[in-house]
Amino acid sequence: MSTTSEPNRAQLFSWHFMPWPYLDETFEKKYESGWITIPNSEFDPEKARGLYQEYLDELVHADEMGYDGVVLNEHHQNIYGLMPAPNLLAAALTPRMKNGKIVVLGNLVPLHFRPLRVAEEYAMLDCMSGGKMVCGFAPGGGHEAFSYSYSMPLARERFWEGIDLIVQAWTKPGPTEFYGKHYQMRYVNPWPQPLQRPHPPIWVPGSNSIETMYEVAKRGFCYFVSTRSKLAGVKRSTLRFEEIVGEVGQTFHPNKMGLLLSVYVGETDEIARRESEEAVFYFTRYCLKGHLRRAGRRLTMAPGGLTPKSYQSYLENSDVTSKLLGDAENWKDIDEMGSIIVGSPETVRQKLWEFVNDAHIGNLLIQFHIGNLSKEKTLKSQKLFAETVLPKLRADSQTLFEKKYPVKTAAAATATSKKPKSV
Amino acid sequence: MKSKTRTVVAGGKSVEILEAGKGPPVLYLHGVYDVHSLQGEMFAFHEALAESFTVIAPAHPGCGESTGIGEISNIEDLAFHYLDLLDALDIRSATIAGFCLGGWIATEMAVRNPERIGRMALIAPAGLQEPGASVGDFFMYSQNRDGGIMRELRELLFADADGPIANGIVPDGRVSVSNEVRRYKSLTITGRVGWEPPYLHDRKLRGRLRRITAPTMLVWGDTDRMIPIANGRAYSENIPQASLRIVKGGGHSVQIEKPDEVLAHVVPFLKSGKDS
Repeated sequence: MSTTSEPNRAQLFSWHFMPWPYLDETFEKKYESGWITIPNSEFDPEKARGLYQEYLDELVHADEMGYDGVVLNEHHQNIYGLMPAPNLLAAALTPRMKNGKIVVLGNLVPLHFRPLRVAEEYAMLDCMSGGKMVCGFAPGGGHEAFSYSYSMPLARERFWEGIDLIVQAWTKPGPTEFYGKHYQMRYVNPWPQPLQRPHPPIWVPGSNSIETMYEVAKRGFCYFVSTRSKLAGVKRSTLRFEEIVGEVGQTFHPNKMGLLLSVYVGETDEIARRESEEAVFYFTRYCLKGHLRRAGRRLTMAPGGLTPKSYQSYLENSDVTSKLLGDAENWKDIDEMGSIIVGSPETVRQKLWEFVNDAHIGNLLIQFHIGNLSKEKTLKSQKLFAETVLPKLRADSQTLFEKKYPVKTAAAATATSKKPKSV
Repeated sequence: MKSKTRTVVAGGKSVEILEAGKGPPVLYLHGVYDVHSLQGEMFAFHEALAESFTVIAPAHPGCGESTGIGEISNIEDLAFHYLDLLDALDIRSATIAGFCLGGWIATEMAVRNPERIGRMALIAPAGLQEPGASVGDFFMYSQNRDGGIMRELRELLFADADGPIANGIVPDGRVSVSNEVRRYKSLTITGRVGWEPPYLHDRKLRGRLRRITAPTMLVWGDTDRMIPIANGRAYSENIPQASLRIVKGGGHSVQIEKPDEVLAHVVPFLKSGKDS
């Protein structure tokens, strides 16, 4: 996904999940999960007044602070993320973003009757944003299959076929036809077309499925690691993906991989913890209940989402009694799990650098708004990070990438070849 | 009763068959949680059936060593797959026993090629969804809760969710990796044909049941929480020559929990050549 016009360094994004921030202990007592089955009578539209605007303001602030972009994603029927239609929020952001990209990670392809709709909406957004879109596609996991009553085993096939239809809609001059196993269309000819040619960068999330890695690698897409693991677990996925990129005959670059992390940065470790404690444990206890927490966890995976071979490997490498991120009870647990990073600028920088340097990740997607964190604290942490951590990570990663992953500049590439090759 | 495994090619797909007994052949189509899908061996019920019949129990595509799952994306595909298997086995008029998903497949075969099905004993077959009698969410409950609790699945599958049979077959935590994978494979083929619409039914089937010519026996546990018995009544009212036998205190997996009661209905029916 790295193109020659991009800087050869790590890119840093601000990711917002837009959770429901008004839960209290009664949720913990009354409901086994924050997903799918939690009664929506608990949703109070009056309390939601202004909430989306507040969340969007936090993303616009990230753009103003010089981040490489912002990230939205799609979830349904839950308290973790009130974003069933991320493209609506991307549209709302387009007139407000100055420089940063808008990453939607991603649209859930299998829940569309015809994935052409996704091609159309992303093309609109790319035109509206002046070519700032990064287009993510996701097959959905258990939450989504149960939310929309779609077949998990068929979703995987529909997902890849749907992506092929979308890429065809963006790249083959229309009208064309598409006759797949799941989707058949006589006329593929969407107006508008995306501004970025041949098409906007495409990102696909994956947990540990080797099949997904191959499909992503051979299409030249960016692989986004969606597991909330510590460095060692992340490395297992990323180094495997790096190998696979080589196996399918492509050139690896860290910008082909992204990782989600949560960060709260304060002046000192102690201040950071004190200021974020309520929000961090709101996130783990409530937002992750029914997801990355043993309590209520059974919706996250749905049967048939993996091949039997991948499932066997998952069984052999996982332990149902081990703690998940949402089972964290104290700061020690949080530190051990490694996916929520809270501390001084130097503490945070060191830990993020390990993901860049050791796990070869070139896109750090950072959740600054955690759980029920206030707008004031979100902006404070996001600003302090931008002033202290971001410049150093950019400079250090540039030194590293230029040495290990040299990229031709756009000018040099054009001089040697008519078709600049993406590396 | 010792069972043996063999492989047959049907319609280009390789079919693993578990076979036992002697006598007239009975094609046994397995359920979501059954032989091939819970464990590789037959249960006591199948072994007892094999005392009177040659029990031929194929594994559905993607289960066991059976191949061709990529060609199956709805229940009709499975019905034609097993019509292909009847051809491969040279069975002109089949005697079929089917449980849950397997019973549904049998009815879908019988509405398409009624002349190929001679007699059917269906134990808690899926396929219909009477108002207020939805199939339980076994896809959801197939996943453990709170790090290992499987009680909700036991409740769907067994009358006595806390009894030794239920706890032996679906314990909390995990079973062996090979049996976990077996269950996952079964849920995968089931998910391809029975997730949409939720779950395990074909909206057109009820209106087609009148085409079935085979004498059909339906056996149902009266406390089936997976496929409520209202669906059994609908089957027996819509299949021309059907009878419904109710096992008192029986759950969904009634042939596993109460094999003798089920055999007492099924064996004479399959033997008699006329409705018992």
